[in-house]
Amino acid sequence: MYKYTIDELLQLKPSETLVANFDAVDFRAIIEKVKQLQSLKEEEFAHHGGHGHFNRRRSSHHHAGRPKVKHNKPKVTTDSEGWSTLDNKKDVAEESEVVDGATTTAAGTTSNGNTRSSPVPSATIAQETLKVRPNNKNIGSSRPADTKDIVADKQIHGFNAFAALESDEDDE
Amino acid sequence: MSVEEVSQKLETVSVSDDTPKTVLTDSNNFEVKHPLNSKWTLWYTKPAVDKSESWSDLLRPVTSFETVEEFWAIIQNIPEPHELPLKSDYHVFRGDIRPEWEDTANSKGGKWSFQIRSKGSEIDELWLRTLLAVIGETIDEEESEINGVVLSIRKGGNKFALWTKSENEQALRNIGAKFKQVLKLTEDGHLEFYPHSSANNRNAQPTITL
Repeated sequence: MYKYTIDELLQLKPSETLVANFDAVDFRAIIEKVKQLQSLKEEEFAHHGGHGHFNRRRSSHHHAGRPKVKHNKPKVTTDSEGWSTLDNKKDVAEESEVVDGATTTAAGTTSNGNTRSSPVPSATIAQETLKVRPNNKNIGSSRPADTKDIVADKQIHGFNAFAALESDEDDE
Repeated sequence: MSVEEVSQKLETVSVSDDTPKTVLTDSNNFEVKHPLNSKWTLWYTKPAVDKSESWSDLLRPVTSFETVEEFWAIIQNIPEPHELPLKSDYHVFRGDIRPEWEDTANSKGGKWSFQIRSKGSEIDELWLRTLLAVIGETIDEEESEINGVVLSIRKGGNKFALWTKSENEQALRNIGAKFKQVLKLTEDGHLEFYPHSSANNRNAQPTITL
């Protein structure tokens, strides 16, 4: 059995480069080509940084969240008799429009549960404004771009069975 | 004897040209070659650059050698491990044994495995030391337990694997102890032996650790 230690084999290493018994040039060329292809792939990946073409889904963590809507604190005034009045003029204006166009009064809530009314002019300007910015990112999606759209899409006229009965009688 | 007499005698002395040339005296036209105990084959696994390439397309025998001189000629002409692209493997296996655990010569054996994070010249030196120990048969037992050796170039760390033909524990422990010396491992470095029968199990645990 032929045995050689590591040192013996190292001593037999020729100082000059020998000619190999296979096509070493071709072998090295294959390896170089693979290295080039790998480096091209790496460059392409680094260029896109793992995003862009490779990841077309939008990342969820870029959302700014819901638009901030500023709600003014309801103003409560207490008079000398101890009556506390909730001064919420916007709500009143909305209510007055809903109830058959009749002019209603602002409802003041007291600390002891009583209410008292105070007249409010019909042409009250809303003190509170909703600041909603349309989000351009959602224009192409099924989500509404603007909160106003939600109101516009809301079904206002429901089915009124009594009205339908009445109309039948009229037909007859 | 006078100087003239010595000179005359020297002229008559002729050096015999019959002395065979070795690789050390004439690296181009040497006649004496140092035979190895076995014929060995160098295999190379090319990294896949196309999804259509299968394992059999990627694993190819490069060349074979039977003498020390042929071995050095190959080593001088192939890229060193640090020059190889990622996911490449060099395999040096005895005779016609394929570097696959399905090969009948390998199927009942396993491999001593070691992963190393270092790159560059250190990995080149350790690979060369491993090859010399394997082809010089100094790492093996008397009955040739070793089938081959593999170097895998990977991003997470290069892997050395010494493939054996059996799971004979005593023989494996002897080989493992020598392999640790070849790799210059300290007490912290652990070699792990995995039988090929567990090659399909990703969660397989080593059966021997040194």
